[in-house]
Amino acid sequence: MIAIRTRALRKLFRTGFWMRPVEAVKKVDLEVKAGEIFGFIGPNGAGKTTTIKVLTGLVLPTSGEAWLNERPVSDPQSRARLGFLPEGTFFHDYLDAREFLDFHGALAGVPKELRRERIPKLLERVGLAHAADRQIRRYSKGMRQRVGLAQALIGDPETVILDEPMSGLDPLGRKDVRDVILSLRDEGKTVFFSSHILEDAEMICDQVAIILSGEVRKKGYLDELLGQEIVGSELVVEAISEELFHELQRQARRAVVQGRRFLFEFAGESDGEKALDRVRESGGRVRSFAPKRRSLEDVLLEGLAEEKRA
Amino acid sequence: MTSLGRIWVLARNTYREAVRDKLLYNLLLFAALMIASSILLAQLQIGKDERIYRDVGLGAIAFFGVLIAIFVGINLVYREISTKTVYTMLSKPVRRWEFLTGKYFGLLSLLAVEVAIMTACFLGVLAWKGSEFSVGLVWAIAMIYLELALVTAIAMFFSSFTTPYLSGMFTVALWIVGHLLTDLRAFGQHTDISGLRPLLEALYWTLPNLSRLDFKADASAGNPIPPARAAMAALYAVGYSLALMLGAVSLFQRRDFR
Repeated sequence: MIAIRTRALRKLFRTGFWMRPVEAVKKVDLEVKAGEIFGFIGPNGAGKTTTIKVLTGLVLPTSGEAWLNERPVSDPQSRARLGFLPEGTFFHDYLDAREFLDFHGALAGVPKELRRERIPKLLERVGLAHAADRQIRRYSKGMRQRVGLAQALIGDPETVILDEPMSGLDPLGRKDVRDVILSLRDEGKTVFFSSHILEDAEMICDQVAIILSGEVRKKGYLDELLGQEIVGSELVVEAISEELFHELQRQARRAVVQGRRFLFEFAGESDGEKALDRVRESGGRVRSFAPKRRSLEDVLLEGLAEEKRA
Repeated sequence: MTSLGRIWVLARNTYREAVRDKLLYNLLLFAALMIASSILLAQLQIGKDERIYRDVGLGAIAFFGVLIAIFVGINLVYREISTKTVYTMLSKPVRRWEFLTGKYFGLLSLLAVEVAIMTACFLGVLAWKGSEFSVGLVWAIAMIYLELALVTAIAMFFSSFTTPYLSGMFTVALWIVGHLLTDLRAFGQHTDISGLRPLLEALYWTLPNLSRLDFKADASAGNPIPPARAAMAALYAVGYSLALMLGAVSLFQRRDFR
């Protein structure tokens, strides 16, 4: 089953007094299989949120097609088993967490008895059981994100769409969100999330799509996109002479001084190995040496460079 | 869940949101003070006490009701959009017309409670001073409520596509013009200025004629109110509100939430 599908999706906004057209989404083709974690990656302003808003019925597409849970997004029933966390944690903050979840559960069509049973479990799951009766306006940003996540799950959705769920969270909060996403996949749910935090996406996604200037430029399974090829190496050393530092700096792609340590990034594995031998010969201390595979950041940067050339 | 169920959930939440707004209590306090001030005002005029209690009481219910309808009405939809709380609601299987209808009925229930509280203050003054509460007053208060329903529909119509500031200005302007339409039409029938008569006639037939719903003067003077006239006025208010809500839905349906 395909949980999310878009074909040649395009969205044109008209802005300002003269209604100048701005093409927020130019061409987005996506296919997200049920039960997968799909990362929608791109820099700010690339068209991620607009695409998500089309999928969730908040924005009408200018042209192209979009389906959610096998139904066109124009049909409100496509959202019957959808959980959505928008970017920015904007919620009815005069409600407490319990009232908030009860309200959204009722809108999602969850019967009263089931809501009563599900709300404490969800609050426990997102770590807010202790603040269930506190008004949302008294929550911290991380707590708001958690209650938003609980809101997205109240209807026991088949598909969960999260817009920048890790944005603005501390490392612990990000880990919690990652854990929830992984547990949702274990329950057989589809998770589609947008992010500009590439490490998070690399850690948990099955598939990713990279969107740049409103167009999907690259997409596929993570191992296909990143490959197994070693594309560089990273060497961290201490106690080297100034001459050796300058010598290695000339050979390296990047050199960084971190207090008493020096970090060198080489374009290939062999360049790194040669540098490693030089440090050992000179009596310097090697703290770490690691070959580097292609990262999502490299793929994104390549895409941006291609775009610049074009 | 049916459409009716979702409208009920949205209306209940709208009511809850509005009653947690402090502005409402301030306005209600002023309304109660104004109704109570009729006792002092009556002492300034000899022999017309009952008329003053009724005039001030009905006037306060209408004026503060309209203030609440406009201030709360224009903000209810706009605030959901500007604070982006609309995102989590409309991404549920909720149709946009259900959303607007739920908001509208939520505000109507708030206005019903608010009119009931002000009426209770008004009754208190009348009972204290031994003045009679006639059927005419019941009609007048019912018509004030229908006027509030119509003003709320005007506020929601404008707030479905523009800012609260503009919505507020347009709604207040229509409320003022709506009460002057009968006089404006009469003026048009006696004027020699070319083109003014058809213009005022067109305004009379298209803009909401709130003077049709104004039974306060008759009720206060103790004049009988024919039920047929009241029924026609009620039908007019309901029909006009429905048309405005249909307009609001049609604009809201095409709106992008950026």
